[in-house]
Amino acid sequence: MGYEEKIMTIIVKSGEAKSCCMRAIGKARKGEYTDAEALIAEAEQCLREAHGIQTELLSGEADGKKHEVTMLMIHAQDHLMNTMTVKDLGSEIIAILKERQ
Amino acid sequence: MYNITLVCNLGLSTSMVVQKMQEAAKKLSIAAEIQAVPESNIAKVASKTNVILLGPQISYKLDEFKKKYEELGIKVAVVNGTDYAMMNGEKVLKFAIGLIER
Repeated sequence: MGYEEKIMTIIVKSGEAKSCCMRAIGKARKGEYTDAEALIAEAEQCLREAHGIQTELLSGEADGKKHEVTMLMIHAQDHLMNTMTVKDLGSEIIAILKERQ
Repeated sequence: MYNITLVCNLGLSTSMVVQKMQEAAKKLSIAAEIQAVPESNIAKVASKTNVILLGPQISYKLDEFKKKYEELGIKVAVVNGTDYAMMNGEKVLKFAIGLIER
C-alpha cells in the first residue's frame, strides 16, 4: 500500500466507523439496543484499523521516514478525529436512551 | 453518455476517486461525465445524473437518498470501501455502469 492509499484507507475506515455510529444511534432510537451496540463494536473495529495505519505512519516518521504533509493527509486526520468524537458521543447517547426506556 | 455522481461530506476524498474514474473512462473509451459533489450540492446535479454513489462516510444515509432519488429514476448505492481506499477507478466506474444498465 502506497502513502496515498494509506491515507485513503484512514478516510474510508473512519468514514465507515462514522456511518456505523450514526446507524447505531438510529437503532437505539427505535429501542433496538443489541443492534446499536453491535454497530458501535463494528465502528470500534474500523477505528482500530484506521488508527493502526496512523500509528504506522507516526512510528515511520519517528524512524526518519518522513512523508509529505498533504491536504489529503490533514483531511484524513480530520475524518479520524471527527469519528472518534461521534463514537464517544454516540455511545453516550445510546446509554442515555437505554437508561430512560 | 453516462452521468455519474459521487457524494460525500465535503467532496474532497471523492474527488480523488473521481479523477481515477475519469482516467479509467478515457482509457476504456467510455463516454462518461463523472463528478464529485459535497452532500449540500447534490440537488444541483440530481436532474442530470444517472447514478449517485455514496462515500463510506455518509453510507448511513443510503435509505434517505434512495427514498429521495430512486423515484426520479436515479440509481443509488454505496461505493465499496476497498475500491474507494485503493482508488480503483476502473472498478468503481464499472460498478456505476453496471447499476445504470441493470
